[in-house]
Parts: sequence; structure tokens; C-alpha cells
Amino acid sequence: MSTRVLAKRRLVTLSLLRRESIGGLYHVLTFEDPDGGAAQPGQFTMVRGAEWGDAPLLPRPMSYLTTGHTPSILIKVIGEGTLRMGRAEPGEPFTLLGPLGEPWRAPTPGRRIVLVAGGVGVAPLVFLARAIAEAGGPKPIAIYGGRSARDLPLDDDLAELTELHTTTEDGSRGTRGRVTDILGDLLGPDREVFTCGPDRMMAKVAELCAARDVPCEVSLETPMACGYGVCLGCPVPTMDGAYLYACTQGPCVDARRVDWSRGDHAPKKGTHLPRSQT
Amino acid sequence: MTRLAVEVGGLSLKNPVLTASGCFGYGLEYDDFYDVAELGGICTKGLSLHPRAGNPPERICETPAGMLNAIGLANVGVEAFCRDKLPTLRERGVTVIANIFASSIADFVTITERLNRETGVAAVELNVSCPNVSEGGIEFGKDARMCGEVTRAVRSVTKLPVWVKMSPEAGNIVAVARACEEAGADAITAINTIRGMSIDVEQNKLRLANRTGGFSGPALRPIALRIVWEVAGAVSIPVIAIGGVSTTRDALEFLLAGATAVQVGTANFADPSAAKRVLDGLRAHCERGNVTVKSLIGSAR
Repeated sequence: MSTRVLAKRRLVTLSLLRRESIGGLYHVLTFEDPDGGAAQPGQFTMVRGAEWGDAPLLPRPMSYLTTGHTPSILIKVIGEGTLRMGRAEPGEPFTLLGPLGEPWRAPTPGRRIVLVAGGVGVAPLVFLARAIAEAGGPKPIAIYGGRSARDLPLDDDLAELTELHTTTEDGSRGTRGRVTDILGDLLGPDREVFTCGPDRMMAKVAELCAARDVPCEVSLETPMACGYGVCLGCPVPTMDGAYLYACTQGPCVDARRVDWSRGDHAPKKGTHLPRSQT
Repeated sequence: MTRLAVEVGGLSLKNPVLTASGCFGYGLEYDDFYDVAELGGICTKGLSLHPRAGNPPERICETPAGMLNAIGLANVGVEAFCRDKLPTLRERGVTVIANIFASSIADFVTITERLNRETGVAAVELNVSCPNVSEGGIEFGKDARMCGEVTRAVRSVTKLPVWVKMSPEAGNIVAVARACEEAGADAITAINTIRGMSIDVEQNKLRLANRTGGFSGPALRPIALRIVWEVAGAVSIPVIAIGGVSTTRDALEFLLAGATAVQVGTANFADPSAAKRVLDGLRAHCERGNVTVKSLIGSAR
């Protein structure tokens, strides 16, 4: 896709520097990396407690929230792995394998960026917004939604870095409804969308963008065992009838490549859980 | 190095630590981590005659101290493997065991004949035990007569060592292993995954689109060890053990039970260097005790 040079992947054991409980089920875990990492916004890391033993067995794919000497991740406590992460104390060792995957593509010059975030999917977008700010780029627009005000972790960060609109399904913050209820009004020919959140949300965002011919980049979220291309557990159906693997061909991809109507990315009844966090 | 060397049916391996098919890609995904040529060998992702896209998602889920997978043998096909992967592996001096899969004896033969034309393939491992495909796979693997026929057919067309990978679901796995030995197999690999299931109770739905998936990981190890013990006691060809090996201690358990070599599988997912870690630990163990791996094989029997 591009000639960008991605940092070499490393498996390192890092000490937890701090865990910040940021309300509800959300925590930010910050690690101490003496060598310093060079993840790009949109890349992810496979995280596991170094002392977990045989269970939970697999590392959890987590988007980088920050990189460098203090890499951090945003977690939502959902399953056994995130429960342990949500209780971890400073000094506890974790293994991080990364940086992995395709980062967000470089924003197109001349286009106003619109970030669309759902719940815990906000992490790679905060990283992107911070990178844009550091590069002196124009302030993006952001739409951030969740079920209630409690489900908008890191909203302060987005408020500082973007022109922020929030939505909640219960109306406890911002506009009552979903991000896709207000996205339409913010799309135009000079816009470009970057989105991460529940599949159903991203599918709808992709549809709205496609209808208005607005470029849309999505960060895919699927279960993964390895994160580096060998388990083949993270296929995402593509428009050509095949699959792409979210770990190495994603997680960031052009939304038009994804067949949102097929497989696990099809809209479903019931509660969506960000499965890679379970 | 000779302290670690083992013989597997005419094939000399510099050490007994291999990686398991389906858990190590094509061996070319590890450049950032270590030199895979250090290993005793690698077993490739199962190769079929034609490329396979694999099963729809979800393909994997975690279980207590293990996982289920229903990948469905997604692979590039034998032709693309020979063209795009093997030359690099050969150049790097990697010992390559080509794991092959087919739903008919004729296709097993065709794939083997294609591999015969290449240099750099050290052995073929017949996957007669995949739990996640509708044809061939586990149904072959449960039947001693069928396994014998597949083995005999492949044996008759190649000079390469032939390994046969056993299903733990065969009613009489010893009979299957013996049938493969009689048909000319050079080694038995035991075991492939065993079928399991998982249900998401919140969403009231199966976790895997394929309904069932192959169960692997540390939780499988005691079962694998029991089967390796039984098979190693029943055949005179080497047994290559697989099933939840993630540490040197695990590898030793299988060697002491009678395995000639071990394959590291699921452990590669959490730690890309898992096999290298097992190997380094084994080397240290043998140096410390001033013993050879050969002397350890079956020593607990």
C-alpha cells in the first residue's frame, strides 16, 4: 500500500508503570519500555501477563494508545484476561508483542478529517489525533458515541485534540442516539473518515461514507491468537469473496474492501462485545 | 550439537525440537524473532493441491488452558508453496517437513509428486487427521485401513521420509499407527487436535462458525502424553510428539515417554520464540546432566 517503514516487531517483557481506573469498566495501562517502541497510530500489540501461567492462555490484541518509552493501552474489563489487567498493580510484568499490523493510512492533504469512535475503539483514534496535533495538522472533527456517558473513556483527550461531538443512546451526554445519526451532517466532499468501534457501527459508517463518496478507513477488531499472521484466526470477509487477515493485512484498511454483509461482520441482533478484549 | 541430534526414520535432525503444522505459518514469519534454521525442523501449514480460503469466522476461541480452532486448512496450495516459500527456506538452511492434506488418495499422491521435484523438502507429513474439513481429514484418520492405504500410496511414489499424523479420535490409535508402520511410514506424529465446542451464553450462540474446532494447548498435554506412550510402545518407528508443549519440561516429558522429537504448536501464538526457548532449555538441560537427547528417549518407560 505504501512505502512506510514499520518498526521491527519485538516480544518484550515490560513492567506495568501505572494503571489508571478511568471509570466504569475502563482502565489505561501504561508500561515502562527502556528501549522505547516506535508504533504508529493504528498499530496494535498482543498483551499478556507474564505470570499468568497456562490460563488465560492467549495474549489480547490491544491498540496502542501511546508509544515510545511509556507505551499504553486502553482496556475494558469483559473477560478473564481484561479482568486481570484491570486489577494489575504497578511493577507487574506483562509481555507485549508489537508493533503489529497496518497503521492508519496517512491522512490525505486537503481533506478535513472526521474521527468516528465507539466505546473502547477510541484508543487508536486518540493516538491518531495526537499524532496529527504533534505534526501541526488541522484539528480533526470527532464523533464519539456510547451507550451512556460512562461508556466514553478518554473523552477528555478527544475534547482537547479535536472538535468533539458526543452521542449516547440514553442521552446522558451529548446528542441522544448513535454516532451514525449525526455523521451524515458532517460528511462532505472534502472530508475523510477514520473509524473504530463495534462492527455494526463501522458497517453503518462505511455505508454512509460510500454513499457520499467519502474515503473511509476502518480499524478492524477480531479475535486473534497470534497477531502476527500464522494462526489465521482473524479472517474478515472482503468484497472479492475472499478474506483478509486483520492482523497483518489490517487492522487498518479501506472500508470499501470489507464485505460488511458477510460472516461475523454482518449486523446481528443482541449485544455487541468487542471480542478481542474478552 | 551432536548431544542434541536424533534420527527420525533415516532423517538426521540436529535437535528434536520442531514446530507443529498450522502453528508456524510457512516458517517465514519469524525474521524479526530468531533464525528458524536453528530448529530441528519446521512442519509447514497443511498444503493442499489447490489453494484454500478456509472457514468463515469465527475460527478461534480460547478455552481453559487451551483453545479451539476451525481454520479449515486455509493455505496457499502446494504450487505457490514451492514457488514462493520453499526457495527462501532452502536458502536459509531450514529443515522443512511438508505437511500435506488431501481428501483423496490420488490427491495425496499428486501433492507428493509435486514435492518430489523440489530440493529442500526433508520429509512429508500426512495430515490424515484434520478435524475441521468436511472431506478427508479426521474420517481418514480414524480408519486403520484407510490410513494404511494413504501411507502405502504416498510411500510408493516418493523417496522422502513419510510421517503420518494421528488423530486422537481414532478408536484404536495403536492399530492405526501399526497400519501406517506396515504400510511403510517412517514415523508417527501424535497427536492432532481433538474436536471440542464452546458456546457464548450471553449471546446464546456457538463461538465457532464451524460449530466444532480442534482443541489444543497445555490442557491437551496429558492426553497427548498417554497416546504417545501407547504408540511408542507399539511401533518400532519413531514417534514425534505434539500436544501442549510450551516449555523444555514439557518436551522432556514426551522424550522420556518415548518420543524421538517434539513439535511446539499453540505455544508459538503467545510467544513467537517458544520453540527456540524450548530448544535452548533442552540444550542447557543436556549440558548440565552431561547426557544426550538419544539417551533420554523412553528412559521413563
